[in-house]
Amino acid sequence: MSYEIALPVVLVAVAIAFIALMIEKDDLHRLLLTDLAEITGLAIIALVATDLAEALILPGLVVGISELMALSEVYLVKEGLTETPKRVMHLEVMDSAPAILGGVLVIYGIVLSGFSGGAVAGLGLLFWFFCKGHDEAFEIIETASGYSWALWIAAFFIFMLAPQYWLFAVMAAGGGILLKVMAKMALVGTMRGGRDV
Amino acid sequence: MEPELLLGLAILIIGAVAAAFPRPKTYLSRIIVLEIPAWGLLLMMLAYDEALALLTFIAVTAISTFVMVRVVERRGEP
Repeated sequence: MSYEIALPVVLVAVAIAFIALMIEKDDLHRLLLTDLAEITGLAIIALVATDLAEALILPGLVVGISELMALSEVYLVKEGLTETPKRVMHLEVMDSAPAILGGVLVIYGIVLSGFSGGAVAGLGLLFWFFCKGHDEAFEIIETASGYSWALWIAAFFIFMLAPQYWLFAVMAAGGGILLKVMAKMALVGTMRGGRDV
Repeated sequence: MEPELLLGLAILIIGAVAAAFPRPKTYLSRIIVLEIPAWGLLLMMLAYDEALALLTFIAVTAISTFVMVRVVERRGEP
């Protein structure tokens, strides 16, 4: 019953988003409006409810964020804005917060372990790099990321060849994917540019 | 209909209008206003118990705001 009422309302929101996208002339405003179009589009899928909606929304979100990243890079190259800005945004909280918040997030992520733990710990590292800058050696993080991937694959071979050691394999896979996701997410924090990137 | 769904639909419409025609038409104000329809979508997901999608959407919104602020930062204020 609620679907018949809600769907037209959401379709009106979609129409508003696309009309604004048509009227807009400025490229960067258009880039921001694609985010609005994405949100209203996801609302249509969310109305489906059940697990099908979740299964459709998750890849939609991942594709959406990667599309936004790619389009923003294309825009920056097209407008010739590739050098780092002279006056970057800087807030008081960016000096005091990273040590505590980053530490808490990383420790909690390691306790969680696995993919979601890697995402949480990676968010902590991302926040740290974003606020404090990053003169750290990225080769070390990348090396750790490569070894953790090998650990993950090895854990899968243990599952297949020696299933009686399943607990060891679970721990190895959880630790490996934790490091892998953490290293990849931490890279996002360096997108402001810097010496070692 | 659940109250969450009604509230979510209302906020989605209001937010879509506000983000489509922001009053001081600057990049930063549009980024801030984009949070309103996102809240509407979150309430709709809450009404249908889509917990995993809801949490992922929150995380992705944080990263996408970061990406958009970075572009606006390099572009400069118009």
